[in-house]
Amino acid sequence: MIQETSPTSIIIDLIKVTKVYAPDVEALVEVSLSIHAGELVFLTGMSGAGKTTLLRLISRMEHPTKGLVEVAGIDLAKLPQRSIHLLRRRIGMAYQDFKLLNDKTVADNIAIAMEVAYRQPAFIEKRTRELLHQLDMTRKYSTRTGELSRGEQQRVAIARAVANYPEIILADEPTGNLDAETTAKVMELFHQLNQNGATIVIATHDSTIYQQATHRIVTLHAGRLRASAFGSPTAFSDTRPNEDSAPTEEALTS
Amino acid sequence: MNFIVILLRQTGRNMFHTWKAQTMIIFTVALSVLIFSFFYLIYFNALHLGEKLGEDLRLIVYLEEEPVESLQEEYRRRILRFDQVMRIDFIDSRQAFERLERQLGQDSDILTGVPRNFLPPSIEVYPVPSLNHLSRIKRFSDYLLTLPGVVKVQYGKDWIDRFYAFIQLMRIVTLLSGILLIMTTTFMVAHTIRLTLLSRQQELKLLRLVGATNTYIRMPFLLEALLQGLLGAACGITALLVLFNWIKLQLAGPLPALAHLPFTFFPWPIILCIVLLSSLLCTVGSYSSTRKILQL
Ligand SMILES: Nc1ncnc2c1ncn2[C@@H]1O[C@H](COP(=O)(O)OP(=O)(O)OP(=O)(O)O)[C@@H](O)[C@H]1O
Ligand SMILES: [Mg+2]
Repeated sequence: MIQETSPTSIIIDLIKVTKVYAPDVEALVEVSLSIHAGELVFLTGMSGAGKTTLLRLISRMEHPTKGLVEVAGIDLAKLPQRSIHLLRRRIGMAYQDFKLLNDKTVADNIAIAMEVAYRQPAFIEKRTRELLHQLDMTRKYSTRTGELSRGEQQRVAIARAVANYPEIILADEPTGNLDAETTAKVMELFHQLNQNGATIVIATHDSTIYQQATHRIVTLHAGRLRASAFGSPTAFSDTRPNEDSAPTEEALTS
Repeated sequence: MNFIVILLRQTGRNMFHTWKAQTMIIFTVALSVLIFSFFYLIYFNALHLGEKLGEDLRLIVYLEEEPVESLQEEYRRRILRFDQVMRIDFIDSRQAFERLERQLGQDSDILTGVPRNFLPPSIEVYPVPSLNHLSRIKRFSDYLLTLPGVVKVQYGKDWIDRFYAFIQLMRIVTLLSGILLIMTTTFMVAHTIRLTLLSRQQELKLLRLVGATNTYIRMPFLLEALLQGLLGAACGITALLVLFNWIKLQLAGPLPALAHLPFTFFPWPIILCIVLLSSLLCTVGSYSSTRKILQL
């Protein structure tokens, strides 16, 4: 059902996607965006611009009102409910609101993503410890996530998202509650996973994490794709494209 | 392999966290199984007793006069029309006389001078010694009485009617308690699993998000119910065994004769069936509520 994708192929493809929340909130308007396998993309934009909505469409937590969403060659509109796990296992998502189970331990929360894929218990434990070490949370292994600080919870959410080595990582505001040093650790983890082949989309308004980056930066403005560029966003901060014009994404990536 | 390990761990975790509800369910299942199997055991033993007693049971149909060959055929046909029987014997006056002579043995000399045909001819009908046939014995005898030329029908053991009426009653009671068992276990399990599911909505939603299959989400609940049924039934049967031995002991004192009656506990296959049935019922209960709540 799910076909293999070569490293250079498009793994996430949105074509003229519109998302209208009831009754008439236009969260996304005619967004077209193609992301290649192995890419690391920053998704920026003001609060309410539609970043979370975009990520939710990719993981099929929402259905587009109009347009086509294809992930790893699957047209998500045609993916039956009972096969949805096939998609979800290839995607690791760190939610903006974390979605942690607060009465379970840090280790249990991270393990969930690997358990559903029937990983060996030994593998699960090793991977959990490794991630906690990378995120500087070794001592919180058996702490209930409800007792953690926001920043710590955020890191657990990130660890769970990447634990099972998903092909696609969607991180929604992954550094919102972190100090500069911890942010650097998280970004290092993402870069490392990206170097190992994962496709990563990071939705953020933290300009410090993408300022010096050489990766593509996609900006949403009131649900419209405003710019897509490589490197520092200052390169296109002066451009004021017509709100109604077609997205410039194709032009910039071709 | 991993699947089983994870499944067992998941189930164990669930059951451990809700041990109070678990105990309640197992207790309810055990009680239902106890009630059901108690009545069933009585029925089961009565059935055996009935079949044993039925083995040497026969209906003696006394006739006005010796039936000729064609009439014998007619009787045979009419008897078989009512019910299947094991055997039909025609006994003429002479055979009856000889039989009496034999029974009297040394005292047979009192029969000297008595005409050899003073006993009436009869038909001996041996019913099939199964409960189904034996339970109709009263009606059978009434029917036989309506046949032409029949003077009297005798089946000696008067209490046999009452005995089969008792068996009839036990059958109904067993059936009712069986229904009770089905209702309590399925509903109880369905209800508690429903509550668990509702209280864990958040977790179940998350499992969906991280790519759990329906089977993955559902299996722990099915396994949990299966274990509840298994444990509950095992407890119920054990309690019955204890009760059975206790009653036997109590009766052996004042009524030593009873101790020799062939009262037995269930054989293994029946125990196995009850346990399996109970597990199946619990699983069905769980299946239906997981289906509803998870919208699978
Ligand atoms: N479930 C929903 N129902 C109705 N409106 C919604 C829903 N989710 C989001 N919206 C609206 O859609 C718009 C885009 O929301 P979204 O969460 O995608 O923004 P965002 O870019 O992630 O913002 P932030 O940076 O604050 O997280 C907002 O106007 C929001 O109010
Ligand atoms: Mg958001």
